[in-house]
Amino acid sequence: MPSPALQLTDVRKTYRSGDEEVVALDHATLEVGRDELVALVGPSGSGKTTLLSVAGALLGPTEGDVRVGDTEIGDLSEKERTAFRGKEIGFVFQAVNLVPFLTARENLLVVAEMNGNLDKGAKHRADQLLDELGLGHRTGNQPGELSGGERQRVAIGRALMNEPSLVLFDEPTSALDTELGEQVMELIGREMRSRGVGGIFVTHDTRMTHHADRTLEIIDGRLKA
Amino acid sequence: MLLATREIARSKVRFGLLAGAVGLLVFLILFQQALFGGLVQGFIGAIENQDSPVLVYNEQARRNVEGSFLLPDQIEALGGVEGVEQVVRIGEATYTVEAGGELVDGVLFGYPLDAGGLGAPTSLTEGRLPEAPGEAVASSADAADGFDIGDTVRIAADGGPEIEVVGLAEDVRFSVAPTLFVDYSTFEDAQRAVNPNAQAVLPSIAAVRPTDGTDPGELTARIDDEVDGVEALTNADAVDSAPGVAAVNQSFQIILALAFGVVTLVVAFFFLILTVQKAKPLTLLRAVGAPSGYLIRNLVVQILFVMGAGIAIGIGMVFAVRPISTGGAIELDLEPSTVIPTIIGLTVLALVGSIGAIRRVLRIDPIRATVDTGSELA
Ligand SMILES: Nc1ncnc2c1ncn2[C@@H]1O[C@H](COP(=O)(O)OP(=O)(O)O)[C@@H](O)[C@H]1O
Ligand SMILES: [Mg+2]
Repeated sequence: MPSPALQLTDVRKTYRSGDEEVVALDHATLEVGRDELVALVGPSGSGKTTLLSVAGALLGPTEGDVRVGDTEIGDLSEKERTAFRGKEIGFVFQAVNLVPFLTARENLLVVAEMNGNLDKGAKHRADQLLDELGLGHRTGNQPGELSGGERQRVAIGRALMNEPSLVLFDEPTSALDTELGEQVMELIGREMRSRGVGGIFVTHDTRMTHHADRTLEIIDGRLKA
Repeated sequence: MLLATREIARSKVRFGLLAGAVGLLVFLILFQQALFGGLVQGFIGAIENQDSPVLVYNEQARRNVEGSFLLPDQIEALGGVEGVEQVVRIGEATYTVEAGGELVDGVLFGYPLDAGGLGAPTSLTEGRLPEAPGEAVASSADAADGFDIGDTVRIAADGGPEIEVVGLAEDVRFSVAPTLFVDYSTFEDAQRAVNPNAQAVLPSIAAVRPTDGTDPGELTARIDDEVDGVEALTNADAVDSAPGVAAVNQSFQIILALAFGVVTLVVAFFFLILTVQKAKPLTLLRAVGAPSGYLIRNLVVQILFVMGAGIAIGIGMVFAVRPISTGGAIELDLEPSTVIPTIIGLTVLALVGSIGAIRRVLRIDPIRATVDTGSELA
């Protein structure tokens, strides 16, 4: 059996806030399969973003093991984590997702360039992704010229550009109205399934969880099935 | 280099203004250097472009030709110093002369015509060197003012000699006045005419040719040691340390240093501000796996672009202004020997100045991408 896309074992993450220690993640154990899309719900401040950050090699865990595919990423150096994110992780963040002075297409291409593989194949891949996301006619537009929904779709394309083995979406529809949010989630579900790649999306809107294979709840840093 | 090139392409005005500002400063620097070069030529070109590997002054004159005289004993002693091939007397003085129907200041440099060229001007552009008393090579910059070939210049004093211009030489002015290279005897005639009671006419300085294989620098030290009351200088040192030149040089160096400093600061602040403004997209890129080195390379490409464009603009402006300056007192010229070090120096300074922006990039914490909210745009 191949290893899962993500495996968290007894992960603890604490932040230092002055003299106090904030426990953002407490003994989190979780597995996300290679073609599984998991929804993560929970109240504000419950540790959702922290979990994605640890899973996506943005933060090292305070305790516990984090495996993405076959790689144990808990002990990687800062530099190694950067390279790992570039090659294996796709991110859609809550707020800033695009470079404002690059066009939709260039926002995808820059991912290939920084990974050192901006070639014909990458250009073809960017065009194909934008087509799939219904942005074939918007490839030359900068983010400022796109609607909120279009920007979010470009962000999805950017997250998939490096052919990641794990994709993490942090409240991808929070800035959109219900109908647009529904459309974007639809698209995320479709893109993820057609690729057979594992992923987690965070949402505070329980109406979105039907797009997931499975829903996890987190409260005060603790996961509940 | 998508980041670097696309940002420039989409902020043409911003980068254009910066390149324009750098261009103006580059022009200013090149202009000042040309101005300085021109001033030095005007002050001391007659020494620089005279065949005189080593010059000997009176020690009391403090390297000022006008204040120097040598006694016959000293001239004789010079001939005995080891490594001296030949010594000639050079007489220099400023007179009121009649040229082109007007009375103007004019400088005579007298050297013996029969000494194989020692003391003669080396930058002859037209005509020939003087071959007899009463003939002269004049500074070409003054040809139009009565110092052209065929013109006669008269020392304005009773019995002042008449001098016919038979050749022109480039960059041989002295003290920013028209200058004539004449036979030493013509200089003596002029001195007696303006100063009939003087007992003897003394040479101002001496030009010395070292023997083959003798280093001029070493020879000056030996002359200083062995001949009382004189100071010997190589031609280059004589030019650099001439009283007017040294003072002007210092002022120019300060102005130039300021201009270099302003370029560095302008570029440094521009890119620092730009980097701070771009903090969010840069943080995003770091978060999705861009190494710091990738972002810094893009920054450096932009700096090199701005400097390249600015330097091109500055040089373009020099070319645009040059026709206006031609024929004037100071000609604007681009000497590779000054332009190339200037370009390299400015570029290096701009890169050094960008350390602030680079440090900003290095300090980006990618985790901020998960918490930064703000501009809906990006
Ligand atoms: N950098 C940090 N320093 C200190 N405390 C933090 C930091 N980031 C998050 N926290 C705290 O950790 C807890 C979980 O935060 P987060 O993962 O952002 O929750 P969520 O995404 O579910 O809103 C919160 O109590 C938050 O205040
Ligand atoms: Mg959050």
